[in-house]
Amino acid sequence: MPQESDDMQTTADSIRKSNIRTTLAVSNKRTPAAAMTAEACECAVIRSKNFSLYYGSKAGVKNITMDIYPCSVTAIIGPSGCGKSTFLRSINRMNDLIPHVRTEGRLAVDGHDIYDKRTNLVNLRQQVGMVFQKPNPFPKSIFDNVAYGPNLQGVRRKDELQHIVEQSLRGAALWDEVKDDLKKSALALSGGQQQRLCIARALATRPRVLLMDEPCSALDPIATGRIEDLMGQLQSTYTIVIVTHNMQQAARVSERAAFFCLGELIEYDHTSKIFSNPGKKETEDYVTGRFG
Amino acid sequence: MNLRIRGTLDRFFTAATGLSVVLLMLVLVAILGPMLYRGSNAVFFQGTVEFRKMQRDLFRRSDEATLNAEIAETEVFHRRISEMIDEFRKGVDIEAMSSQVRDIHRTFGQELRAKAVADDRYTELRNLTRDIRDSLEAAFAKQDIREIRPLLDGVLLHAENPAFQGTAAEKFFEIARSFLATAETVDLNHQQEYAAALRELQGILFHTQDLPGLLGPRPDEPQPLLVMLRYGATRWDQAQQLLDRFFWVEEWVEEKPGEPLVMRKEPRADLFPETLGPLFAYVQENADKMLKPKFTAYWQFFLDDNFNSHYFGGVGPEILGTLFITLVGMLFVIPFGIVSAAYLVECATDGQVIRIIRMCINTLAGVPSIVFGLFGLAFFVLFLFPLLGFEPKPCILAASMTLAVLTLPVMIRASEEAIRAVPRHYKEGALALGASRFHTFVTITLPAALPGILTGVILSLSRIAGETAPILFTGAVSMGDVPRSVFDPTRTLSYGSYDMAVGDRLAMMVPHNQYGMVVTLVALILILNTVAIVLRTRVYRKLRGQ
Repeated sequence: MPQESDDMQTTADSIRKSNIRTTLAVSNKRTPAAAMTAEACECAVIRSKNFSLYYGSKAGVKNITMDIYPCSVTAIIGPSGCGKSTFLRSINRMNDLIPHVRTEGRLAVDGHDIYDKRTNLVNLRQQVGMVFQKPNPFPKSIFDNVAYGPNLQGVRRKDELQHIVEQSLRGAALWDEVKDDLKKSALALSGGQQQRLCIARALATRPRVLLMDEPCSALDPIATGRIEDLMGQLQSTYTIVIVTHNMQQAARVSERAAFFCLGELIEYDHTSKIFSNPGKKETEDYVTGRFG
Repeated sequence: MNLRIRGTLDRFFTAATGLSVVLLMLVLVAILGPMLYRGSNAVFFQGTVEFRKMQRDLFRRSDEATLNAEIAETEVFHRRISEMIDEFRKGVDIEAMSSQVRDIHRTFGQELRAKAVADDRYTELRNLTRDIRDSLEAAFAKQDIREIRPLLDGVLLHAENPAFQGTAAEKFFEIARSFLATAETVDLNHQQEYAAALRELQGILFHTQDLPGLLGPRPDEPQPLLVMLRYGATRWDQAQQLLDRFFWVEEWVEEKPGEPLVMRKEPRADLFPETLGPLFAYVQENADKMLKPKFTAYWQFFLDDNFNSHYFGGVGPEILGTLFITLVGMLFVIPFGIVSAAYLVECATDGQVIRIIRMCINTLAGVPSIVFGLFGLAFFVLFLFPLLGFEPKPCILAASMTLAVLTLPVMIRASEEAIRAVPRHYKEGALALGASRFHTFVTITLPAALPGILTGVILSLSRIAGETAPILFTGAVSMGDVPRSVFDPTRTLSYGSYDMAVGDRLAMMVPHNQYGMVVTLVALILILNTVAIVLRTRVYRKLRGQ
């Protein structure tokens, strides 16, 4: 029963995490063992090399070179308009929706250049799930919301879908709250529940990477806490990239942090280093609150 | 501005809005109230025995036993009235009497031939009856009793002639006697006027060439060809109008020189000599016994076909045709509207061409509907149909397509707004899960836009069901069979209302049917809309998660 042991481990993890959170420690919160596993699979999932993205002639992000490692949370911080969301959305090519977008450099997921012409967008987006700033469940039932992704993948059998939905909802720590009325409209859930449903929906396609674009900015502190706990649980299985405005959140949940400013990557290092001993002056100004 | 002024202004505005709402409702009531009341007359009214007779003959529905009893009862009155009129007519209707005596002369000749009398005897009798005929006709032409009496006396001399006993010629003497009696009592100077007045009276009581009367055809008369002339007043309100015309003559008189004419009512009885007086009293006394008005709920109005341009019957085929045209029209409007809107919102980039297309759509929405009618005739009926191998004639398909083109701008705009209003993050969520743009549109955007699209459906539905001008030349007819396919033309409520209003003076006599048709149309649109609104509310609730 790998599922159960996973659950137990992540629960233990989350208890530890929430204790730490209350102390607002700005130290490395990973246990030494967890840190070791992260070091062990050093091969990066997402590799960005001199990646730039332009909206027409205006640059969204410039020359980003960074590797994002699996089974960990990577936070992207920075002032508004610095390109952190743009970069995040580049990873599953959500920027394609905006007209006149053009990219340069290389952005690879699992070794494949995603801006290659041959890239299958559907596969990419199912590999790289995304959670948005505002909870955006579809105006459908809870079940249909979660089953949407698997449905796209061609899963049609009811029992299989049921299984995936249950797993995903359990994974997003929502199962116990909604198991009795999966037929209920997703819009009847509270904001925090909706966001966790969106996470479950993203998990249902069994992605490798989970992109989170300020997932807690529309939520109250309690709901935020739950999402953060959830991230702690999920990072053992998924590679999570989170964009956040909230520096304490970045410090609480992430293992590595990248500081963006004016479309450029200023600094990228272990979170503890970024927050306690940043290498660049801009980073220090930003994290200490003197700027931004 | 201090707080008190603000408060006062606030209250003033509240009062003004409240007042405008009340005003709007009053206007609605003022418009709809009378229409509804009159329209309801088509279904609920005092039906006479003639109505029940008509229902039996034309629609095969009646309580046979009761109806036969009723007809037997009323027949008595009809006969009596008919007799009274005949009695009077004998004396005054010269033309009728002249033709009658000529008939008698002819019949008598035929009788003689049949009896095979000797030739000289035949000639003698024929000459005699010719003399009688001529003197009778001469007498009819005179007005003075002093001239009439010798002529008639001359005729009556032959009354005892055995050769005439038991033959048609006996009638000569009957006529002569009754004319003599009339000539002695009635002022024959007014004979012409009496005859004219009598003709009018008979028209009101029985029927004229083309207008039905109070009692229907005379008991001894063959059934008229026109269905509506076969029955008297089928409704008590109609009967009362006819009775009013029966008792009173309307006259426009100039009371003061130079002033507008004033209408004055004179008793019709004054137009006749006193001998006809009993008729008026008789009708007055027995009006309701002759017609037996009874409260009737004619709900079959919504099912029945009509006779003689809606003189009798209901609007069944019209309702069917309206529904047919509307539904076929919606089959075109909904898919085309949604697809166009989807293209404009999801696919089109903001170029010059799209701007021109948009402008065209907005302009189309303001084009008068008659232009669409002519377009439909020219393009669908005369151009497209022969091209596709259909018969180029007006039909439901052409009408529906024309109406679809007419309402497409409305539908496109409503759908466009609805699709545009779907939150971007719904779409992003689906796309982020790997859905294609088409799949996202079909599974996420379209369901979310459904309430707004249904608003468009409601708007175009009402338009399609109610439009007249576009179907004038493309598919509407005022009479004809119930359509069997989309290639048949059809009657519709909208066109029917128009047709009754402009084309037919008969419509003046059946305002209830006219109003009934209009109210039915309004009700039909309301029902269709209610269905759509209920649907929309349910979809909306579902989307809201309630």
